[in-house]
Amino acid sequence: MKKYWAIFKTQVINSLAYPTEIMWRSMAILIFLWVFTFLWRVAFDNSSTTILAGLTLHDTLWYLMLAETIELSRPRFANTIAQSVKDGSIAYLLCKPYDFLLYQLSVNAGDTVFRLILTFIFGSALIWRMVGAPPDIWGWPLTLIAFSFGWLINFCLTALIGLAAFVVEEVTPFTWIYQKLIFILGGMMIPIDFYPPWLQNISKALPFSYVMYGPARLFVSPDLERFATLLAGQLAWVAVLGVLVSVAYRRGLRRLAINGG
Amino acid sequence: MTVIQISNLRKTFTTKRKAAGLGGSLRSIFRPERRVTEAVRGITFGLQAGERLGLIGPNGAGKSTTIKMLTGILFPTDGEASVLGYIPWKERRQLAYHIGTVFGQRPQLWYHLPAIDTFQLFGKIYELEDKAIKQRIGFLAEAFEIEDLLETPVRKLSLGQRMRCEIAASLIHRPKLLLLDEPSIGLDVVAKQRIRDTIRRMNEVEGVSVLLTSHDAGDLEALCKRVIIINHGQIVYQDRVSNLKRHYLTTKEVGVRYAQRIPGNFAMENVNILKVGKYGVKLGFNTSEIPADVVLARLAEKGDLVDITISDPSLEEVIANIYQEVEEAQA
Repeated sequence: MKKYWAIFKTQVINSLAYPTEIMWRSMAILIFLWVFTFLWRVAFDNSSTTILAGLTLHDTLWYLMLAETIELSRPRFANTIAQSVKDGSIAYLLCKPYDFLLYQLSVNAGDTVFRLILTFIFGSALIWRMVGAPPDIWGWPLTLIAFSFGWLINFCLTALIGLAAFVVEEVTPFTWIYQKLIFILGGMMIPIDFYPPWLQNISKALPFSYVMYGPARLFVSPDLERFATLLAGQLAWVAVLGVLVSVAYRRGLRRLAINGG
Repeated sequence: MTVIQISNLRKTFTTKRKAAGLGGSLRSIFRPERRVTEAVRGITFGLQAGERLGLIGPNGAGKSTTIKMLTGILFPTDGEASVLGYIPWKERRQLAYHIGTVFGQRPQLWYHLPAIDTFQLFGKIYELEDKAIKQRIGFLAEAFEIEDLLETPVRKLSLGQRMRCEIAASLIHRPKLLLLDEPSIGLDVVAKQRIRDTIRRMNEVEGVSVLLTSHDAGDLEALCKRVIIINHGQIVYQDRVSNLKRHYLTTKEVGVRYAQRIPGNFAMENVNILKVGKYGVKLGFNTSEIPADVVLARLAEKGDLVDITISDPSLEEVIANIYQEVEEAQA
């Protein structure tokens, strides 16, 4: 396990190679949230009640803050894997004595740390100023746990797309589709509670909502029962996707053709 | 001890073919045309412990594909291989602890970090103790003369400096076998020489066996004891480098310059006249047919010699000859 910790640490240092770049990228959340704040203010102002689908304006905006933080800090390494297959550098990644998937996990976890922290700080600062104090602090540790498992689900799904590169090389269309699924069915644009019941059921049955909606909703309404249900669902998805990824990896490796020289 | 033993190794790739232009692209969407490329067509050879073997051949000959099968990252289509007693593609991770690899065209050092960070990371990946890692980095830094480069981000190093760091990184775990795929590609003459020297030194000092691919005959001449020439995925020649030279380097070229104009006739039996000038002449001959001193003596009779040069054809020319011979034999 020590080697994966070393890989994680090295990537954390690596992600700080360009500190200003990471600052500016994290600040992107300000633009999204600023627009969201105005949109949702209009939505709430035009309704006769202060609670829509069980959420106040304050809840909704803190929800969107967390959902945006997850979206912006989520590793997008499917294209990185595809690129390394295309240019042949995958050869190095495969001829070292570690598990390729755990290597990817460590690198991407290392890459997430600072982006997550900075995006969260910038986003929180803005939303705090706009609609007031954040949700109860006791829900934060629960949210962090739920976030971690959601992160793992996203890792597995992205790895599946990345491994497709062993066979098809170009994976951009898949990453694009995945992003839209996260936007809509994952509840990034609109909390799933606002959907008609049939769409809510579909969304909650699929893994995308466990990446985004689950942790974000728990953040604004912390509750042990909600946490337990969420965690059970996340664990089930991690198990299913984990098996799928390792099978896909083993199959893909046999078909891998490394380009160049 | 045998380090590498491969027999009848084959690798075929299926690639999509696409005709040129937009029409070709559209057609390939609906009716993809597939072509089977035989990159490696039944290669058999062995490598003994401590040996330095060069795998040489033109671009696309199948050198890199062979190396990648030996590291276990490519599955062969057919054939057998044993590297340090492991079947590479079945026991890739166990094998990885004992081999070092350098792919000259791709970086393995982390681009934004100083090389020492990657060295330390690799040490951890190979499960070395912290103290051992430190000692080893110290040793390699000295051997490769990279003490002053270790703390510079890799992106700021020159290609030659980076390659020295790359090779040092691949030796951090004292591998028994070093696989180098085009280690000197893109380097200038001085940097090439330095890389060759350090590789040879590591082989002599630590006994690491070396298998390298190259399309530069200079690598072979400076570094390898034995050579395998492959072309179109097949071995076309294998022998000791010294035999290769002896066998193919029996031709000499002699050029002389005289103090005065020499109108004379230079025709001699078994000698080709390559060039005749007002003050000099260049001749080519085979030393098995006519000894060099005889040729020189006759040239000296013609006038006062000011300058003499005797040269061998380059190894590149020799290899080009071998390719040609093989192709003629096949045709």
